[in-house]
Amino acid sequence: MGPVLPFAAMQRPLAEFPVARSTATRPGPIGLLGSAARDVWTRRRLIRYLVRADLKKKGNDTLFGNVWWILDPLLQMSVYVVLVSIIFQRSQPDYGLFIFAAILPWKWFSSAIGDAISSVSGQDRLIKQVQFPKIVLPVAAILAGIAQFAFGMIPLAALLVILYPDRISPTLALIPVVAFVQLIFMLALGVFVSALNVFFRDVGNVSRHVLRLWFYLSPGLYGADVINGVAQSHRYLAALIKINPFYPILNGYRSVIYEGTAPDWQGLGVVLLVSVGLLVASVWFFKRVEPTFAKVL
Amino acid sequence: MEPVPTPGTATNAGAAANAGAAASAEAAASAEAAASAEAAGPLAPANGSAIEVRGLGIRYSLRLTRKNTLRNSLAQFVRREGAAGHFWALRDVSFSVRHGESLAVIGPNGAGKSTLLQVLAGIINPTEGDISIRGRLSSLLTLGAGFDQELSGRDNILLAGAFLGIDDDEIQRRMKDIIAFADIGQFIDAAIKTYSSGMRARLGFAIATSVDPDILLLDEVLATGDQVFRAKSKERVLELARGAKAIVLVTHDMHWVTEFCNRAMLIEHGHVIAEGEPADIVRMHEERSEQARRAVPSLAL
Repeated sequence: MGPVLPFAAMQRPLAEFPVARSTATRPGPIGLLGSAARDVWTRRRLIRYLVRADLKKKGNDTLFGNVWWILDPLLQMSVYVVLVSIIFQRSQPDYGLFIFAAILPWKWFSSAIGDAISSVSGQDRLIKQVQFPKIVLPVAAILAGIAQFAFGMIPLAALLVILYPDRISPTLALIPVVAFVQLIFMLALGVFVSALNVFFRDVGNVSRHVLRLWFYLSPGLYGADVINGVAQSHRYLAALIKINPFYPILNGYRSVIYEGTAPDWQGLGVVLLVSVGLLVASVWFFKRVEPTFAKVL
Repeated sequence: MEPVPTPGTATNAGAAANAGAAASAEAAASAEAAASAEAAGPLAPANGSAIEVRGLGIRYSLRLTRKNTLRNSLAQFVRREGAAGHFWALRDVSFSVRHGESLAVIGPNGAGKSTLLQVLAGIINPTEGDISIRGRLSSLLTLGAGFDQELSGRDNILLAGAFLGIDDDEIQRRMKDIIAFADIGQFIDAAIKTYSSGMRARLGFAIATSVDPDILLLDEVLATGDQVFRAKSKERVLELARGAKAIVLVTHDMHWVTEFCNRAMLIEHGHVIAEGEPADIVRMHEERSEQARRAVPSLAL
């Protein structure tokens, strides 16, 4: 057949066609942040689908599916209870609940960060084929983790009702407040590491060990007093412990879940402010390097 | 990408002159465009192109494209290998495509054809020069790139639609057509990992062509699938073309170029060598490939 000739398109005035343009010039920092915010807002449906896809996958590929989100923290708690209270004999009263209050948020943190690290580099094929705002990938990875944390409320409720009914207190209602502070910090870190892993694939390997050390330097398995004791004898560790956002965060969970007291608002407030700052910085970094993703992957 | 006012300064004649090695066909096309633009009313800009590319250059940094680890970059840093390695995948590329035209981009492997499509699709930003795209663009670069193996076909249609930025209502509305066109029957609710590669390609093609794009980018996708699907997909592409959409097609299949496109562009080593009538360009490409073959000493047999 002969060449295809133009007809119908011309019935529509050309002025009606949206014009898109790409040039070699790059927007400034404020422009980058603005466009990131727009990306996330206009593509919220994509984020929703990505979150749903992630949850479906995690639920599908094991026999018990999402039941593991309930069993996992319980089993991990049992392991630590055996290790610390029976082998090391360093127990606290109601030690199960004491560490469960830390295991739950920490598992949320470590698995969501792990997902975020590979969220961009794992979509290499797509990034080379389709133009879309890449920032939705780490954001979806972090948000999908919320479901896991929410499921964790089931074993927490069970523990409280069955084993530790004396520990039930109205401060439990403050869990979402502490969780919100943690979420903002996770978004900041997740966006940053997802972009970094595109250029340095070692991030995944390093992160596993960093996360483990991080947990041991946080008041997870033991109370803040132990951490403070360590800080007094090791000056460098003391500095790390001081800037560790999980010091106030895990203490906060422990206050509202285990001790039944209000969390250290000042500490959490500082973490929130710093996290917002970090989020701005990491979104800027992400947007800055985003145009090279398709070339590097 | 920011929407900007239509460029008003460049005239059609200017665009044609910009196109560098443009043949006379280009001038004829411009005259036609001017005529059509007038017919479309006084509001239509004089520059009636769907795609306008000026002085495009794409530079790849070899430092970044290598799969990096900390060790490599540290080694480079120590050896001060900084910005030494980069190459231009495309340089000084200028052309325009009007609504209703289909442009074939041909050339040897590694000439920069696929990079060109990636730039047009907005996946890669130009290092220099600029591009303006007027209209809704859909790319069929590789079929099923966004598919998630664990999800069902139906979920993947929703996900792919969201990645492509298609409205939710629209994708729901077209769901039935997509499933019908892809012809995968009850498998639509099974995980994509159970699909054959043909089924995957059909589904990808059905999604990408379901959007009624003003501009369609195709990269060698028409070679996938069995005979029946190939005929069907050809039919669909022709249908889109008859809707007078602009098409840019990258292919090694010269039949497609002569049969289906009304303009062709030959690219070698990132530069536009020639542009014009498909038959002429194909002949030129074949001659040059033949020369290149002769220039390379054949393996002693």
